[in-house]
Amino acid sequence: MKIEGIYQIHAPRERVFNAIIDPEVLQRCIPGCESLERTGEDEYAAIMKAGVGPVKGTFKGNVHLREMRPPEHYELSVNGKGGPGFVKGAAIFDLEQVDASTMIKYSGEMQVGGIIAGVGQRMIEAAAKMTAGKFFAGLERELGGWADPQLPISTP
Amino acid sequence: MIPAQFDYARANTLDEALNLLAQNEDAKILAGGHSLIPAMKLRLTQPPLLVDIGRIKDLSYIREEDGQIRIGAMTTHYQIESSDLLKAICPLLPECASHIGDMQVRNKGTIGGSLAHSDPAADWPAAILALNAELVAVSKNGERTIKADNFFVDLLTTALEPGEILREIRLNKNGTHQAYVKMPHPASGFAVVGVAANLIVNGSNECQSASIGITGVSSKAYRASAVESALNGASLNEGTIQGAAAHATDGEDVNGDLFASADYRRHLAEVFTRRAIQAAAIGAAK
Repeated sequence: MKIEGIYQIHAPRERVFNAIIDPEVLQRCIPGCESLERTGEDEYAAIMKAGVGPVKGTFKGNVHLREMRPPEHYELSVNGKGGPGFVKGAAIFDLEQVDASTMIKYSGEMQVGGIIAGVGQRMIEAAAKMTAGKFFAGLERELGGWADPQLPISTP
Repeated sequence: MIPAQFDYARANTLDEALNLLAQNEDAKILAGGHSLIPAMKLRLTQPPLLVDIGRIKDLSYIREEDGQIRIGAMTTHYQIESSDLLKAICPLLPECASHIGDMQVRNKGTIGGSLAHSDPAADWPAAILALNAELVAVSKNGERTIKADNFFVDLLTTALEPGEILREIRLNKNGTHQAYVKMPHPASGFAVVGVAANLIVNGSNECQSASIGITGVSSKAYRASAVESALNGASLNEGTIQGAAAHATDGEDVNGDLFASADYRRHLAEVFTRRAIQAAAIGAAK
């Protein structure tokens, strides 16, 4: 499935770019991320307690960063496995400075398998959007310092 | 699959239930169990402790009190479906109940359990929103009343705090220009789209106010406020109803899945909103 959207962070582009490739910032912003450790050049191992409502599970995975062109572009691929199923995905991020803010345009493909893909298929898109929203809201809190982070501006 | 190992405790009073919940932050309330147990059997959820509130006295009732309709959280869907009182004074509730799951589910499932679970395609949330109901939650700190408009927060997430138990659903008596229509998924029966319409219509067939609750479309049930604005003060005819229904998904993030793409769901929402308003406009208890 495709996930796409644009999110506004109230901080300059360089700060935003440096934040989203910093494992310590990411660990604080990714919902349920318990640990994010560097395992190599642009590679990280993650343990996430992910879930929505009563549906929860622990996922172990790796994240790979690619095509880094600071401060405007980078790509990541992620691979995670846990009790409720597995997730495989890749996403492209483009950052644009608009006045004092950064517009992050993201576009990704995600594959979900296992039990959540079977019985939970009807909720996967909503869960993915919710997780992305929480991540960007977390990033806004880290960087923007605004009391009310904006909701995503557009998600098709 | 069978559930992961869990402990079971039966509470005899609400206080006991609250204390048991406080002892274990991952404990789950067991009401009718027809959303919870299937998820446990698939190991999608693995609560270490189930707190069974099924034997607590006076949590299951349907009554008129202080000018309101009050329904206990443990009232089953079947009890609501078959209530002569509700068929007379709030037909939306029995009509909505009749669409839930199947007979076996309706005999065990409870309105409180369904609302606390807040499945994005459940039927109750649409009706509760359309009826402007209030939900009474009890915790160790006392009781509070949550308006339906504030109750459904996100996917499978309500305004209930950890350690809170939903005790009662309350609503003011509305008219009887009400209807619930639904497009069920052919296998699961969940609402691909479900629309609850609650209208106040005067003698000249003018809509004085409208409340429309929609489920199955987004990550949670919502009030179709754009549809409501279009209906308020309008004379109810095919043209005005069609025009209002066209706004069914305005401003909403429409869900897509293997059965129905977002575009198809948007179209279904319009069609079923139109049908719900038409059915409600005819009005009167069935």
